[in-house]
Amino acid sequence: MGDTRGAVDGPGGTGTATAAQRGPTPEVSTAGRSGRPPGITVRDVAFGYPDRPVLRGVDLRVEPGELTALIGMNGCGKSTLLRVIAGLLRPERGSVQLGGEDLAGMSRREAARRVALLHQSAPPVPGMTVRQLVRQGRWAARGPLGMLRGGDDAAVTRALADAGVTGWAERPVDALSGGERQRVRLALALARDTRILLLDEPTTYLDLHHQLEVLGTVVRLREERDLTVVMVLHDLGHAARFAERIVALREGRVVADGAPREVVTPRLLADVLDVVGRVSVDPVGGWPVCHPDHPLNH
Amino acid sequence: MKGSGVVVPSPAGRRAGTPPRLPVPRSPLPRLALLFLVVLAVAVADVVAGRAVTPAGVWEVLLGGGDALDRHVVLNLRVPRMLVALVAGACLAVAGLLLQSALRNPLAGPEVTGVTPGAVLGAVVATGFGLADRQSPLAVVIAACLGGLFGAGLLWVLTGRRRDDPTETAVHGVLVSAVLGGLTAMVLLVAPGELGSVVQWLIGTTDGRVWQHWNLLWPWALCWGIAAWLLAGPLTLLRCGEEQAAEAGLDTGRARGAALLCAVALAAGAVSTVGALGFVGLLVPHLALALFGADLRITVPGAALAGAAVVGGADALAQVGGRALAVLWDADRLTLPVGALTTALGAALLLVVVRRSPTRDF
Repeated sequence: MGDTRGAVDGPGGTGTATAAQRGPTPEVSTAGRSGRPPGITVRDVAFGYPDRPVLRGVDLRVEPGELTALIGMNGCGKSTLLRVIAGLLRPERGSVQLGGEDLAGMSRREAARRVALLHQSAPPVPGMTVRQLVRQGRWAARGPLGMLRGGDDAAVTRALADAGVTGWAERPVDALSGGERQRVRLALALARDTRILLLDEPTTYLDLHHQLEVLGTVVRLREERDLTVVMVLHDLGHAARFAERIVALREGRVVADGAPREVVTPRLLADVLDVVGRVSVDPVGGWPVCHPDHPLNH
Repeated sequence: MKGSGVVVPSPAGRRAGTPPRLPVPRSPLPRLALLFLVVLAVAVADVVAGRAVTPAGVWEVLLGGGDALDRHVVLNLRVPRMLVALVAGACLAVAGLLLQSALRNPLAGPEVTGVTPGAVLGAVVATGFGLADRQSPLAVVIAACLGGLFGAGLLWVLTGRRRDDPTETAVHGVLVSAVLGGLTAMVLLVAPGELGSVVQWLIGTTDGRVWQHWNLLWPWALCWGIAAWLLAGPLTLLRCGEEQAAEAGLDTGRARGAALLCAVALAAGAVSTVGALGFVGLLVPHLALALFGADLRITVPGAALAGAAVVGGADALAQVGGRALAVLWDADRLTLPVGALTTALGAALLLVVVRRSPTRDF
């Protein structure tokens, strides 16, 4: 575990150093941010659509401040689990607690103040600029009629900077490329200023450079803002490289759970991803590296 | 343990050599002010455009002079007519913007979502069956509101689960409008005696709108206009998508319901005063969005100004056009209803909008 943590700290530390070179970051009120971020407790959660069960009794405990990656095949329930934790889907059975508070008893606004979710996709609104879109993330933090509050502009500016989209702030979102939009969606999630951050495939549409950049940003922000992060990643290599803990889902159930060096094995590739391959250790970083070979045919 | 070969992701926000520059957002206030000036100019044009009094005579009356007839024409006929045209246009435009945002459908307007035809039906039924008359204009507004809600509700039920598809909504909206229009025609046939002026509702006209209409319209428009502006924040968020809005903490069902109610009330207020002015509620929101952008807290007032300018301008044009037609055909009493003009112009503009808006991206 120690080695893995060291690897995770690498990009985080570098990020902080350059953040200082970037000049003063806008002051954002840190009131109410003292103490550990809330953890997440998922107990026996089931959810499904009339003809298709998706989650079939998921138990998961995410410790405060942990960086967890969810992996699994298409349709295994990863995204659905994130939506349940964000309070967007009401589970048929079981409960979700954020920092000890039951999600079922919260209003939409109360839930949105605690947890932010980066969506896989969101339709761009014609004519809406990046800044206008990111400002929408401040809705839950505002009063009942959505009037601007003092800290809103600072939070928006900081989110734009953290996601690296400051330069496009006044450009219309529908004029951006897929990868650029993905980083705008990250800014939208960051503008929420919640202590729990859920990311549904944050690296979709991005080239390798920007994949590493976004994941490095997530690692750095987790340290700077002291966040609890759960992200769905399709690339097991990224999960092994950046996460402290990997949770694997298969057909709506948790089938593996642990530190990357413990769980990323050829067995995991076969059991969770239906892939035959090998796993080695990165000679410099020490994290597991996957060498997928061919799809497993039952 | 960090060797020289470690690939370290570069932090976001820095591209090599180009430090991020903070672009300054363009303020929409100059555009709002400019549009306000346009509305003022249109108001003047509308008051001047009539037949019986020359522009010089109008000027004299406004300065406090003029003979009794001129004073009556300008102060009791032209000024209230102009005010009603401006505010009705504002109501229809804001109603359309609310509908398009709440339904996330660029083809939604009060005319094609059953709201306007329903409001006309409500007003006609109330008048035709003696529930409302000149002595109780508020009853007409309430009846128009109920009719508008009925029309929108009918569309809601008919589209069912496919209401997220803009085309589906538009097609069913045409169907609902046709059915409601047929019902209106039936009422007109059954009880024609009371309804001499009702045909004006079907086309939309500002002829003969006097202070009585204005006194009813402005408080109604003001109340619901304020409600519309308070809904602008939630609706801006709702335009980002259902799930996105819910995720950000919005109770989407409640926001949409409030917006629909507000849109129906605004459209019904306008319809009960000037009738079903075609295409204003469908097209002016597109103009407002193009001018003022996606932040509805600016665009809602912008749409109100744009609607006022469009209907006021159309009314002035209709009066000038009516005068020209009267000269051409030597028919002194010929008037051109403003609704005929907005419908004719709007039909042409709709083609432009439909070609420009890729509906799946909305």
